[in-house]
Order: sequence, then structure tokens, then C-alpha cells
Amino acid sequence: MGLGLLASRAMRPLKSSNFRMCARYIVTKPELQSPESAAAEAPAQPDLPPRTPVGGARIHFPNPEDAIEVFVDGFPVKIPKGFTVLQACEVAGVDIPRFCYHSRLSIAGNCRMCLVEVEKSPKPVASCAMPALPGMKIKTDTPVAKKAREGVMEFLLMNHPLDCPICDQGGECDLQDQSMAFGSDRGRFTEMKRSVVDKNLGPLVKTVMTRCIQCTRCVRFATEVAGVQDLGMLGRGSGEEIGTYVEKLMTSELSGNVIDICPVGALTSKPFAFKARNWELKGTESIDVTDAVGSNIRIDSRGPEVLRITPRLNEDINEEWISDKTRFCYDGLKRQRLNDPMIRGADGRFKAMSWRDALAVVAEVAHQVKPEEIVGIAGKLSDAESMMALKDFLNKMGSNNVWCEGNGMQTSADLRSGYIMNTSISGLEKADLFLLVGTQLRALDLGLVPESSNCVESAKFVYLMGADDVNLDKVPNDAFVVYQGHHGDSGVYRANVILPAAAFSEKEGTYENTEGCSQQTLPAVPTVGDARDDWKIIRALSEVAGMRLPYDTVGAIRSRNQDSGTKPLAYGRERASYIWAFVEAQVHPKDEFDPIQ
Amino acid sequence: MAFAARAVKVPPNSASLEEARSRVFDFFRTACRSIPSIIDIYNLDEVVTKSQLRSTIASEIRKNAHITNPKVIDMLLFKGTEELNNILEHAKQRHHMIGQYVVGREGLVHDRDPKDEGISSFLKNFYNSNYF
Repeated sequence: MGLGLLASRAMRPLKSSNFRMCARYIVTKPELQSPESAAAEAPAQPDLPPRTPVGGARIHFPNPEDAIEVFVDGFPVKIPKGFTVLQACEVAGVDIPRFCYHSRLSIAGNCRMCLVEVEKSPKPVASCAMPALPGMKIKTDTPVAKKAREGVMEFLLMNHPLDCPICDQGGECDLQDQSMAFGSDRGRFTEMKRSVVDKNLGPLVKTVMTRCIQCTRCVRFATEVAGVQDLGMLGRGSGEEIGTYVEKLMTSELSGNVIDICPVGALTSKPFAFKARNWELKGTESIDVTDAVGSNIRIDSRGPEVLRITPRLNEDINEEWISDKTRFCYDGLKRQRLNDPMIRGADGRFKAMSWRDALAVVAEVAHQVKPEEIVGIAGKLSDAESMMALKDFLNKMGSNNVWCEGNGMQTSADLRSGYIMNTSISGLEKADLFLLVGTQLRALDLGLVPESSNCVESAKFVYLMGADDVNLDKVPNDAFVVYQGHHGDSGVYRANVILPAAAFSEKEGTYENTEGCSQQTLPAVPTVGDARDDWKIIRALSEVAGMRLPYDTVGAIRSRNQDSGTKPLAYGRERASYIWAFVEAQVHPKDEFDPIQ
Repeated sequence: MAFAARAVKVPPNSASLEEARSRVFDFFRTACRSIPSIIDIYNLDEVVTKSQLRSTIASEIRKNAHITNPKVIDMLLFKGTEELNNILEHAKQRHHMIGQYVVGREGLVHDRDPKDEGISSFLKNFYNSNYF
């Protein structure tokens, strides 16, 4: 919930009824206690401007006769049966303040921040837990609702430490935002605040449990989404604490998400602690490449440094969660990077050299060997553009031995349905059984399949494009190995020439996830040292070698991808595997029955 | 503050293009005459010769050969005089001189190659930086 939205909600009465905003005391008056009087006071507004749902949400009606109509601040909205009051308000474009409610978790209803007034109800109701009934008249902007929120806010802040200046959540804290928008302007609390012992949840999640407001979002996330019963609530009343029941780390691979769902600064990121304030960061919407899910992420950077990675909403792929590997992989982007083209000297040590000399050496060696002795291997992190360029370059050199690591033994790129995950990621929820097999879709979609499977044994010139997991013991000792990549990983130890390339956070590249959905990364930070984008290196090398590839821009190479053959990499959802049905029709045995006889 | 006063003194505008032109030649001569002391001040003997510096000055002036507005020429002359004064007053350091008038003329010399003649603009840009 953005501060701007909340602030504008809080500001609304300023514009309409200025005379009511004289001085705000924490007082109770008889008319504030009775909802009926407030209802009578509200003037009927006949022509309200149509409002758009919060966040541009769309409502799906499973069967239209189940639609009910409720009134939010006098504005009629149609919602499906079973919606809560809070959801009805969201459809009407009213953002209700909340702490414990989260649309992907079960409803707890324990923070009481979402109190709204409902006509003919004696008390304000917790809108997140109350189902909307036909004809319900919901009022979100009345004095009763405001006073209820103010009271709840006062209770929440009673035991919340005043350490916003040293809190990592500061600036993106729901409690901070909502106390600015809905809280009281003065405190009445003079006693001691309670303090809670911090819990050790491991190296990723930092806890300051005194800040916790017991919304139990983390407990529900761990139980319902991560599927581990690690977190729970201990104690009752003012002794209530969130914790692991015994001294234990949170070992789920999704544990980083509790950082995002925590509305206060109780659970924050340990690697990010005290590194930056969120308003200093530049967010770049990108794609994660560390696994085959292709999670949508936002890379937050400051200057040339990636400071954190947070998830981005994509309902079909990662919803709003990301794994810990995705979230915390960014520290590797800063260390042990290749930043200069290098060549291995006679003494076995690498010497930095200019791009001009490095490409000249590589091109010369590539021309000295026979075309069938050239092998190109694309790594697991290579983007589609650079793989296409590598394949085109090697084909121009006369070799067809270009393949990708991370594939199974028998690779066939003929039928797309043979290697993509045909049940989509969102379809996984309905699956009974999983069989996990590794394939690299991007590469197979581009036809990166070797001509002969044992081409490495006879290779004289090996081009590793970020390939680190391939077994290089089989490469002959006299072969010339070029390593193009961003980290000095295992491939570098065998390399003769190193060409530094950009990591996924520094380049624009197309990646495809396990269900065949193509997505694009965007550069968040500049490249390190003298590194270049992968496809540009191959394009430059092709020109130095006298086999100039016909594309100069990333747009040109994408259109080359599009018409490269049967499987164009179009952005968006996976393409339907039409061939599947065709194959099944073909395998029917035909020789048993002949209609002519 | 004698040199400051000298630096801010603005001569009257040139009345015509001819006058501006003769002023440019005057400035060129002044600059050429100060080359020996510049080489002396900044210890440039081992990196550059007098004639190289002379041609550098000439090429700096020829960069603006297309300008015909006397007012603009006067302004450029003023800037040139200011730069010359700065150099002679040792307001610069040796690496400034080398960077601006010796090496920086044509980019880094070792990055240039006679083989670069036939290469595409893509490759030229590629050697320069990743961003183009």
C-alpha cells in the first residue's frame, strides 16, 4: 500500500469539508458512538464519479447469477458472492488500511486495522473477515471508522519502539505509512514499552521482535505457502511472541519472503541491513535467471551496485514470491568478476590485453583449425540473443557443433512439447506427481543441438559461452579454449583466452523459463570494467574473423530469432504445443486394419 | 592579482571579419611564442616537440574555421587567451597538458590501429565501450 494513496485518502476530507477540520482532540462524543447518527449526517451524493478498483484489479464472476450488489460510501458495486467487505471496498476503489490481511494468505483478522462502518451494525466491523452481504451499506470514511482506526493505531504503537531512524523498513513500512495517514497526532502513552527477545532465524532474515505487531503474516506464510511449520505464536496477551518454538533456524528455501510480507521492521533482510534506504534505490524490472522458473524480479540498485532483489507480481509464474537463491544471489554479482580480456601467457598466468588484440588472437586460431574441430558450448545463464549469435557464427565458420550444457543425454529439439514443461507453472497446483528433468529450453528452441555427440573429444577450438559445468577433462590438451563469461568459474581454469561479458543484471537479454515463457531482462547497473554484452562480443569476433554477422542491434538479432525457424521466441506466455496431438495421432498402429480389404 | 586583472580585461569588439581574423593570427603568434616556456614549465621535452604543439594549437584554431560571426570569434579568442594565461600561470598540471594537448588529441594512441580502416562502426564502437 503506497503512502501516496493513503495520504490522498487521508486528505480527502480536507477538500470536501474544510469546516470540520478545526482541531482534533482525542475525545469521544455521543454521536461518534452511534453509527446511525453518522449515517444520517452523510449527505446523499447522487452522481458519483465511477471509481476504478485498487491496483487496476479485475473481478472474475464464476457464475453471473451469484453477483451481489453492495454500496461502498454510497457507490454501488457488483461483486461475486463470498467476497469479503474489504474486497468489496477494493473493487470500489477504496483501499482499506490493513496489517494482518494478505490476499494470498488465510484470513486472521487480528490486527483490527481494517475496521469499517456497516449500516445497521452496532459496532465497526473488521472488513477483512466479514463476508459482504447483498445490499450492505459500507462506509469507510465516517468519523466512527476513522476513530476506530485511530484507536487501533494507538494500541499498535503502544508497544512499537520509536526506532524508525535506525529501522531498515523505514520508508517502506506499512505501520509508518498508516500511522501517518490514520494515526493520532499525539500520544497518551507514558508507561514503559514491552521488549521482546530477538530470534535467530538464520543468515538471511534479521529479526527485531520488539517491532513485531503480531499480525501473524509470517506464521501463515510459513505454514500455507512455504509448507513448513517453523514459525508460530507463543504466549497470550501482552506476552504474545512470534518465534520458532525451540531454538531453530528457518530453513525453508522461501524464507526470504517473510521479509516482504512483514508490514513492520520485525523481519528484515540480513544481507541488506543498514546498506541503503529504499528511496535511494533505483528499481529495474527484470527477470531472474538463476533457476528455470524465470521469476519476475525488481533489481534495486544504487549507482553501479545491486543492493537487493525483490519479487514482482506475475500471477502465472511466481505470484509474488521468490526463492532465497533469487533474492540473495546478488552478492555474487560484485565479487570475482572478469573485467578485462585476458590471455594465458607461456608461464600459465593470465595477462590483461585489449579487446582488439584478444579478438584478433581468437579469430586467428579459429581460422587455423578445421571447421569440424570447432565446438561451441553455451552456458546455463546465456541469453537467447547471444546463443543465436554463437550458433550463427559457428555455422558461418563451417561447424555445427554448437550445444548447451545442462541438457540430458538425448537432446532433440524437433518437437517443442518433448522438452518443455507442458503443464504450466500455474498448473502445478493440480499435479499429483512430479518428475523433474533438466532441459535448457532457450537453447533447444534455437536449435542448439550438436551434430555429433562426442565432438568435444576431437575439438581443437572450444568456445565456452559461460559454460562452467561441462566436463572439460575430455577436451584435448592442445585445444584452444575461449571462455566468455562474467565470473571466473571453473571454465576459466582451462581457458586460453578470457572475454569478459555482462551478467544478467547488466544486459538486455531474452530468457525462457521451464514452461516456455519468454521474458526479458533489463540492465539495472553498468557492466564491470571492460566487459561487453555477450552477443556484441560474438558479433565483434565474427567481424574480426571475416565472417561478419548481419546484425548490429539487439532489435536486429531478435528479429533474426523470430525467423530462425520453427520456434520463434515470442515474448509472453508459452505457445501451445500443437504438435503434441499430431504425434499422438501418428503412433497409432496402422498395419492391423486395412479398409480396402 | 595582476594576472587576474589581465585575464578579465576584455578588448573592444572586432569591427569586421578582417579585424577578427588578424586578431586570431596575433593570438596564434603569441601562443607559438610561449611554447618554449610551456615546455619548460611542464617538463614536456620528452613527450612532445615544439612543432607538435604548434600544430596542436593550429588545429584547435582550425576547428572553428567555419565561424564567420566576428562576435563569436572574439568570444572564442577570449577563451583561448584565458586558456593560454592559465597555462602560463601554471594553473594547470602536467597531466592536464599531456591529456589535453599531447595524448588526448586522437584518443589513446595504443588503441588506434592502421588495420582499423575497413572496420564497421559497430566494431569501432565495440572497442570503445559497451554502450552504443
